[in-house]
Amino acid sequence: MFLFGLTSLLKVCILLTNAIAILSEDRFLARIGWSSNVDPGFGNAQDTASIKARTVHLITSVRTLMRFPLMFINTFIIIYELILG
Amino acid sequence: MQRMAYSNPAPAQSPPLHHPVPQHVSTVPQLRSPPPPAQQQPQASYGYPQQASQGAPGAGYMQPGFGFINDPTAQMGFQVGKNAVMAGHDYMERNFDRYVNVSALKHYFNVSNSYVANKLYIVLFPWRHRPWSRQQRISNNGQDGLFLPPREDINSPDMYIPLMAFVTYILVSTILAGLRGAFHPELLGVIATTAFAIVIFEILGLKLGCYILSISNESQLLDLVAYSGYKFVGIIVTIVISEIINKGGGTGGWAGWIVFAYTFLANAFFLLRSLKYVLLPDTSPNSNSSTSYTIARSQRTRRSQFLFFYSYIVQLIFMWILSRQEGTGPSKSVA
Repeated sequence: MFLFGLTSLLKVCILLTNAIAILSEDRFLARIGWSSNVDPGFGNAQDTASIKARTVHLITSVRTLMRFPLMFINTFIIIYELILG
Repeated sequence: MQRMAYSNPAPAQSPPLHHPVPQHVSTVPQLRSPPPPAQQQPQASYGYPQQASQGAPGAGYMQPGFGFINDPTAQMGFQVGKNAVMAGHDYMERNFDRYVNVSALKHYFNVSNSYVANKLYIVLFPWRHRPWSRQQRISNNGQDGLFLPPREDINSPDMYIPLMAFVTYILVSTILAGLRGAFHPELLGVIATTAFAIVIFEILGLKLGCYILSISNESQLLDLVAYSGYKFVGIIVTIVISEIINKGGGTGGWAGWIVFAYTFLANAFFLLRSLKYVLLPDTSPNSNSSTSYTIARSQRTRRSQFLFFYSYIVQLIFMWILSRQEGTGPSKSVA
């Protein structure tokens, strides 16, 4: 009863999560400075409170956590689309 | 041994001792013509297929189909299923308390009539309300910071009004759609799902914003859900008044837009004042000095901007989505 218009919304969310999960760490994120293990440089503590640091941390955690379940979710959705159109 | 049963031209009285007799109905089509229907019952146990190449396969399946309720194996299957359902039910009841914090929910539903009336008045007319801070109960067992329930504190968010407003919004939308002649039974589900998804989206966006801006959220998640549900009150007022004025013209037209703008501004002001104490916790005297004085000035302006963005722009988008109704009545005036 709950999933009336929500399948397309769910698929969009899965697609966006896929887009975040396939970003390559060393080929792309390091190039634009969004890598997660920055070199502190002068010996200061790592800055963890700026907006950029937190978004980088969020992206890294999404990639680490969702890479494995996304395989199964994607397979499930592919099979669902193949069978039910 | 089982393969021999198919190639044997078995007579009606083949002795079952020579080869094992399969008890299930096999679906391999037989090359012989099917036996006449009068003799189907005693021959079912020999495993011959019941479906004819032409004729009535439905009638052939119905005969064993009606008899399976009296079958002892089916009875046993029912018992097993019933036991499994009851075990699952017990497991759910035992573990329900772990997943849903029932006592916290009870705190939100602890409302009184005067609270509901006053709160509705504040939601729709928040400009004259003076103290917006929630009162805290200073208790002696070291647990200060426990907020008063809605019964005693007008500023405390409750879940009663948002829940009732949510359900009322679904019902009123459906009734208005029925008055316009555009009702179909899936409309209930579509509206419910849309509103539910909007609430969830909003909470997710708020949580994301809180995380990115390093706002430590001391209030609970249900508080944010409650604050997000107060806009349904304004939306109900909007669609009811525009339905009365436009007579079926939907929420277009200048009357609908005026009411919508008023309720939107009222809701935004209400949220701005209420969420100031949730998202910008630098003015509360009870917090430790370590959390309140390390907030830089730029961060505070950023948080204020975020609060403003959330209260006005996000609410505008969502309220507009929720109060959209197509008009098919006779007096559909242009905006």
